[in-house]
Amino acid sequence: MSAEEAGLAPRTPQAADDTGAPADRPAGATWPWTLAGLVVVLALAAVTRLLDTGIPDLLEGTALGDLAAVIEYPVYAIALGLLGNAVLTVTGLRERLAGGFRTEFFIKTGLVLLGASINLGVIITAAGPALVQAIVLISAVFLFTWWLGGKFGLDDKLRALLSAAVSICGVSAAIAAAGAVQARREQLAYSASMVIAFALPSIFILPWLATVFGLSPEVAGAWVGGNIDTTAAVTAAGAIVGEEALQVATIVKVTQNALMGVVAVALTAYFVLRIERRTDAPRPGVGDLWRRFPKFVLGFITASVIATWWLTTVPAAEGKATIGVANDLRTWFLILAFVSIGLEFRVASLKEAGWRPVGVFAAATAVNLILGLGLAVLLFSGFSVT
Amino acid sequence: MSKTEADHREEPPAPATGRRRSIDEDWAATILGLVLLVLVIAGVIPTGLVP
Repeated sequence: MSAEEAGLAPRTPQAADDTGAPADRPAGATWPWTLAGLVVVLALAAVTRLLDTGIPDLLEGTALGDLAAVIEYPVYAIALGLLGNAVLTVTGLRERLAGGFRTEFFIKTGLVLLGASINLGVIITAAGPALVQAIVLISAVFLFTWWLGGKFGLDDKLRALLSAAVSICGVSAAIAAAGAVQARREQLAYSASMVIAFALPSIFILPWLATVFGLSPEVAGAWVGGNIDTTAAVTAAGAIVGEEALQVATIVKVTQNALMGVVAVALTAYFVLRIERRTDAPRPGVGDLWRRFPKFVLGFITASVIATWWLTTVPAAEGKATIGVANDLRTWFLILAFVSIGLEFRVASLKEAGWRPVGVFAAATAVNLILGLGLAVLLFSGFSVT
Repeated sequence: MSKTEADHREEPPAPATGRRRSIDEDWAATILGLVLLVLVIAGVIPTGLVP
């Protein structure tokens, strides 16, 4: 059965962004439906906020009190999103409302606001180890996935997509790679689905493993940021571990995001010159790098610059209270993103992929986890965000 | 996989539009995030307003 027959193709040419959001909305999606989709996301986010603050108070002193106290808002948001997904799928409304599930926009706005709570000095200090980790991890995992994909007999383009997705930043890397190597739409759909299918459990498993291993918040953050493929899932897992872990995880992930353009341009050159052996194609240049650079990274750094400067001009208590408002706004945008992840999760295209790409992706994820843990311990053991 | 590969061997690459949308969302998210931060710092969005 082809992707079209499975009902995948209309949604999947740009199947999703790095957060898992479909970048290609259904053709029938109209403005009022998009607005209605936004209302659904906002309503579920409001319920998430209520549960996050209300449940621990409600269950305090009961047998479930300790459990409720450690459940963070991403858990409620994703669970409600998945529940909403099921309801909207059964009622046949999900595709129409999907225009309002703007995971990428929500997560990037949230990350720009997160920049306000991170001192510029922390970003500068973490940038070195984050860059080393990103370069080593991306290179090693990309090459391993490429090699293993070859052993499993995968098509070169699918190998490139899977390698980019698992080693850099999930679906946006797969999209960038798909553009670079002229991949087919169903290959992008498979890659996007695998990213989300592996990222969702990682949101909960990695924070749990970090606790089991007794990792410091900074090392746990670096591990989460270096391993989980989608930026939204990294943020969710980081938030579950704690604020310090979230800050380091974000810096590591943003660094990986920033390197995406380099990999995309390198892939373009490799496929044009080595795989297709075309001599007439223009060489990729600096303009291509800028086009593929994720611009929200600049917003993240600018927010940190503004907040760091502003905090030097006001009394500490006033500064803390004001940045707290920015943090509340950030939490809202992250909740909107996590709800959207749940609303958009699809398993159909994963079934289409067959076992070989899934096997390659799983093996690459395992290598990513082990190598990423080693690098996080090596590079971030003495690091502190305070 | 083989059948789908054969079916779509000449499928035109589509990511260009998605990439443009992604880039637009990048800038939109950047601008909104920074505007909100400035409004917070300027006191237009005061403490206690955000639930």
